[in-house]
Amino acid sequence: MPLISLGVVTIVLAVLPKMGVPRVLPLYLFHFFVFLAMANMWNLLAGYSGLLALCPAAFIGLAAYTMTILTWVDVPFYVGIIAGGAAAALFAAIISPSVFRMKGVYFAIGTLVVPEILRLVFLRWRPVGGELHGGGAGYMVKGMAGVTMEHTYWLGLAIGVASVIVVGIILRSKLGLGLAAIRDNDATAASSGIDVFRLKLYSFVIAAFIMGAAGAIFYSYQGYIEPSAGFHIKWLMTALLATVIGGKGIEGGPLVGTIIVVILHFQLARYGELSLLIQGIILVVIMLAAPQGIMGLARDLRNGGGFRALLGSASQGRIKPRQI
Amino acid sequence: METLADLASPIAIGVLLGGLYVVIALGLSLVFGVMKVINVAHGDLVILGSYFAYVMSTSWGLDPILSLVVGIPLFFIMGVFIERFLLHRAFRMSADAALIVAFGISLIIQNGAQLVWTPLSRGLMTSYTLESLKIGDVYLPVVYLVDFAMALVVVLAVHQFLKRTYLGQAITAASQDSETAQLMGINPARVYQIAFGIAMALAAIAGVSLALTFPFTPKSGVPFLIIAFGVIILGGLGSMVGTFIGGMIFGLSQTLGGHFLGPTGQLLVPFVMVLVVLTIRPQGLFGR
Repeated sequence: MPLISLGVVTIVLAVLPKMGVPRVLPLYLFHFFVFLAMANMWNLLAGYSGLLALCPAAFIGLAAYTMTILTWVDVPFYVGIIAGGAAAALFAAIISPSVFRMKGVYFAIGTLVVPEILRLVFLRWRPVGGELHGGGAGYMVKGMAGVTMEHTYWLGLAIGVASVIVVGIILRSKLGLGLAAIRDNDATAASSGIDVFRLKLYSFVIAAFIMGAAGAIFYSYQGYIEPSAGFHIKWLMTALLATVIGGKGIEGGPLVGTIIVVILHFQLARYGELSLLIQGIILVVIMLAAPQGIMGLARDLRNGGGFRALLGSASQGRIKPRQI
Repeated sequence: METLADLASPIAIGVLLGGLYVVIALGLSLVFGVMKVINVAHGDLVILGSYFAYVMSTSWGLDPILSLVVGIPLFFIMGVFIERFLLHRAFRMSADAALIVAFGISLIIQNGAQLVWTPLSRGLMTSYTLESLKIGDVYLPVVYLVDFAMALVVVLAVHQFLKRTYLGQAITAASQDSETAQLMGINPARVYQIAFGIAMALAAIAGVSLALTFPFTPKSGVPFLIIAFGVIILGGLGSMVGTFIGGMIFGLSQTLGGHFLGPTGQLLVPFVMVLVVLTIRPQGLFGR
């Protein structure tokens, strides 16, 4: 049943730009799809695999750079998107032996350093094209003539839907069960015969691929990339905010959270700094008032039958022993 | 021809710069040691300290270092409040929740600062800003020496505080084993508040140091946060001596990296070192 509704929604969204809707709508939806893919993958890592990975910007920037640089050697950008995702996945696989040695918070800060290193590398390294375009080591995306907003929109839709399907499949497979076991207690999971490293690696690489492809698609729309933007912490914020607002560790969480993040993104865009300030306040308030996010709140309401149960579960959440 | 004399300058500057990094990293290390929470807002709190000194010196004409007489208690109280009303509730839920709340605080400070002080780059001008001391062939800017002196004082003070006072011992006890500390009659909730207050006071000092040395913008917190992470990873999370040595290593590798690889190589060398250390010894060079 959910599969059919997913199909119907996808088809409706796919024909939407042909139906003469206001031009801003495809733009909103494009951002929604790209952010959704990132949030879904971050939820897979942080919510289901116990990997509080603070490095989405590394995958996004690396994939977007791969795509952009490939367009400079006359590779079509849609091939570049796949190649970008593959480069991000490969990078994830390469760094996994070192970052997986760190547990919990160590993993979080270890991964936070990764995008910063890549940013510095790309500030130094210019694989193609001698001269600088603008500041830093920025590149224009080439070969975008004839690519319309509609094409970009469909690419966004594809990656958004792909992320929903991938998460759906993983959660219903043995991999999902194994990941849940690792998240809850990795020592027990290991002693039950689960290959902890390999399962974490799978979800890390898959997430890197899809985040990377989503990032490359975003930059094919943007048309220009430079290290400080591509490896910016805002990518982490987007994925994290959408997941936390919607509900971390809940399949539908990122979907709901991303809607709110996109609305905030556009409605607050004209206020500049105030926009991020408000996002920060929302993040703190949601985390303190409803740590399970909107979907978590809804689930508690539905299961527990009303607000009394909700209050009960909220206080239970507070005395839960913290995990280090 | 590369000689040892050529290297004297980057080595001296690196050690002095390391002092600044130590002060920035100390608050982060303290909060991690005691609460096992990574305070990702620490860089922004440091920058808030810089703006405080900036306001004091531009509108009151107060010397930045003197302004700490007001700054330290003010930041300490702010820290106690932030811990009590925001971080503590998240902290009791999970380490992830605390991290995410700290992220929110970071966003709020960064963008609040941008609203109040505009995104323009600021710097502190004092009578000694442009002075430098000549020792042999090496010119040492006075502000770097001030940074290093402040770092020495701060590290010694924090070390003595943790070792000699009852409160300091309570903080050390709670950081080693919070449950046993509780059984010994220590109230961890209060210890956390005070530890966070001290970390904020350290951020105020680091802010002054930073503002004397580099120009800063509301967004400068993030790069310095990442540097501070690097420092405490090198030295070992939660170890004071480790943080000090980590800061020195970081500063040195930065200036030597800059010397051999050019300006963009500066931070690349220490960060690659951080990743190597993490891979070989995840607990840091001096971590337990």
